[in-house]
Amino acid sequence: MARWLMRFSIAALTATLFVGGALAAKDVLVVDLVQEPSSLDPHLQWNPDSYFVYRNVFDNMVTRDDEGKITPQVATSWRQIDDSTTEFTLRSDIKFHDGTPLTADDVVFSVKRIIDPALKSPQRDQFNKIVDATAVNPTTVQLKTEGPYPVLLAQLVKLSIVPKAHVTQVGNDKFNQEPMGSGPYKFVSIQRGVKTTLARNDTYWGTKGPFATAEFHAVPDPATRVADLRSGKADLIVTINADLAAELKKDARVKVLSVLSERVAYFHLNALAGPTADLRVRKAIAHAIDRQGIIDGLMAGYDKPATTMLSPVHVGYVEGFKGYAYDPAKAKALLKEAGITADTSFTLFTAPTFDQRIVQAIQQMLIDVGMKVTIVTSDFAGWLKRAQSSPAEFGEMSFSRWSCGCQDADGVLFPLYHSSSQWAKLRDGAIDKELEAGRSLLDPAARLTHYKRVHELAEAAVPLVPLYQVAILYGARKELRWTPTPNESFFINRMKWEE
Amino acid sequence: MGRFLLRRLIQSAVAILGTITLVFFIQRLAGDPTLLMLPEGATRQDIETLRHQLGFDRPLAIQYLDYLAQLARFDLGQSLVQRVPVLDIIVARLPYTLYLAGSALLVAVGIGLPVGIVMAVRRDTKLERVLMALVLVGQSMPTFWSGILLILLFAVTLGAMPSSGVDGLRSVVLPAIALGALTMATYARVARTAVLEELGRDYVSAAQAKGLLFRSVISRHILRNAATPIITISALEIANLLAGAVIVETVFAWPGLGQLAVQSIAARDFPIVQSIVLLSAFVSIALNLAADILYSVVDPRIRLDGVA
Repeated sequence: MARWLMRFSIAALTATLFVGGALAAKDVLVVDLVQEPSSLDPHLQWNPDSYFVYRNVFDNMVTRDDEGKITPQVATSWRQIDDSTTEFTLRSDIKFHDGTPLTADDVVFSVKRIIDPALKSPQRDQFNKIVDATAVNPTTVQLKTEGPYPVLLAQLVKLSIVPKAHVTQVGNDKFNQEPMGSGPYKFVSIQRGVKTTLARNDTYWGTKGPFATAEFHAVPDPATRVADLRSGKADLIVTINADLAAELKKDARVKVLSVLSERVAYFHLNALAGPTADLRVRKAIAHAIDRQGIIDGLMAGYDKPATTMLSPVHVGYVEGFKGYAYDPAKAKALLKEAGITADTSFTLFTAPTFDQRIVQAIQQMLIDVGMKVTIVTSDFAGWLKRAQSSPAEFGEMSFSRWSCGCQDADGVLFPLYHSSSQWAKLRDGAIDKELEAGRSLLDPAARLTHYKRVHELAEAAVPLVPLYQVAILYGARKELRWTPTPNESFFINRMKWEE
Repeated sequence: MGRFLLRRLIQSAVAILGTITLVFFIQRLAGDPTLLMLPEGATRQDIETLRHQLGFDRPLAIQYLDYLAQLARFDLGQSLVQRVPVLDIIVARLPYTLYLAGSALLVAVGIGLPVGIVMAVRRDTKLERVLMALVLVGQSMPTFWSGILLILLFAVTLGAMPSSGVDGLRSVVLPAIALGALTMATYARVARTAVLEELGRDYVSAAQAKGLLFRSVISRHILRNAATPIITISALEIANLLAGAVIVETVFAWPGLGQLAVQSIAARDFPIVQSIVLLSAFVSIALNLAADILYSVVDPRIRLDGVA
């Protein structure tokens, strides 16, 4: 009782009194996120608002450079011992923020912690192919996977190393509220709903951050984030659309930063039930959608048309697929051939999370070729449920965007196309076989052959229409130098401030 | 008074139980947060495992009884998403909402009441028409729009006010105006009607005939008699301010309960949503009770026991 009364009074005081604001702008980087981080323990939630903050507090097993190539971080090198065992050599000069050295024990602890069902980590799925972790010596760790697992490294990009002794001592709940890692920034405080503050780790082993302090504010409304940037309150803002980007371009004090991400937008079709079970109908829909028109008309040209579900930054991407050209006449002919009339109704289900202008544009394009399309909207959780429901409940089509956060074909094509996945609305034995081969081979060239075949089979069967590679837009002060990456990483120590 | 309070207490308990029951089941009609928490590619097995761990695979009745048992222990539970005790989160956020709603009320009463009185006294003049326009603007501008206009004008263009968040005393000015505008309009309208009604009464003419200054007739007699409808709308309007905070807090990135409610509903963070609703139910009931008691204070003819 006394404890919460005290917290109440402190919060009430800070709410009424003047706080902060005295520090010089160059010392403090202010970032406007959409929401406050939902967790600060890197082994729990893995959403952008959490990740952007805690990724700066921790070092991960491996990382990606600005081009997206996997590069060392805690692990300096790695080699395959047999098909299912990889040995990692670790840096010996990493210290956690309390001064204790990071060793193989911490790595083993981190792996075992995240795959332990008792932690209830939503990220477990990304690491549960790892069956064992052993420390050979303080700088060597062996990871054993369930059979050959080509995506191991790509997943380890997301594995933060947490301090075993500290976590064991303070417990999971306390660690989530006051995280401690070995990264370029140290956790200072979280003021619920207001901001999370980090301070530079001046003894960091790698590139040190340019700002003494970094503050992450929760600003849910995109128009307010833009106002914050333009009024000088924020230095960097996330998640803006092309319209707001155009507004920023008119202001000389700020700029727009954009990157083509590993996220690909697609139009999902139900190949197992309803009128879209007819291949001609699916081909007609593919021909009816004008990708370039959507990109130019609604996204100011930032995004890039896609013809497969992979972007050039994915392992498994194959160039040269043409996709289905925009051809309304052909679409009409195919629909006629399939016996679709103005009475055949199609439902297009969506959620407010997705840009509704795009959904409505696609609806209009389909109406233009003579289809009767009704949009059905639910909240995002409802959308997720329906998207993963049985073909009979799914309806005919849905607009969506996919990112596995792993830049590997297995994380995209397997869940979308394999018969065993609840997302797939297609049953194709040939595709299944290629996907299974792709996830069980370690040789990149051999994998690519199988994924090329998947792209060919998917293009013929049209279980979905790939639309575009999604551009992620940020707003920043003119002085900030930063290269956003396709995997939406957020490393403050890779930023620079130039007056 | 004692019997009245007892009756009201029982009524309140029933109302609160009804509210939390309704919210408990309505939320769960649309599913649970498992899918939102997992990465997109999670397999069916992973989904089922997490759902089981979170306890959402149990029958609804069991989950409900569990929740009631938890409440009986004065335990609000832990946030599903943040994994932090709900009480800690609410205690950190509540002062901001109270601060904002209080400031908005100050704007509403401070401007609304005088404007309403002036409109009644200066009926059918140019001044009344100008003030009426002000009231209409306050009444009809949706807060998500007026909020962003205020930010663009005062923060971006003039640079006179912070654009969002809580950085000091000045931060509350714009959100308080945006939130208070509608309430201000309501106060002005109600005050105008109530004062107009009293102005025509005999005691006003009598008081003036006695040679009392018009100013003191207004403040000593008319306002006292016009207070009942104003108290009634106060109970409603304070509850409205708390509801309006949902939008204003989102637009101004104000870290109160309203913003938290929106986020928690979207994230299906049931324990937080349930606790906010529980708190709101308490507040509404308390406000209505306070209004009833206040009636008897300003108007001795009203007896709370219902016995003359």
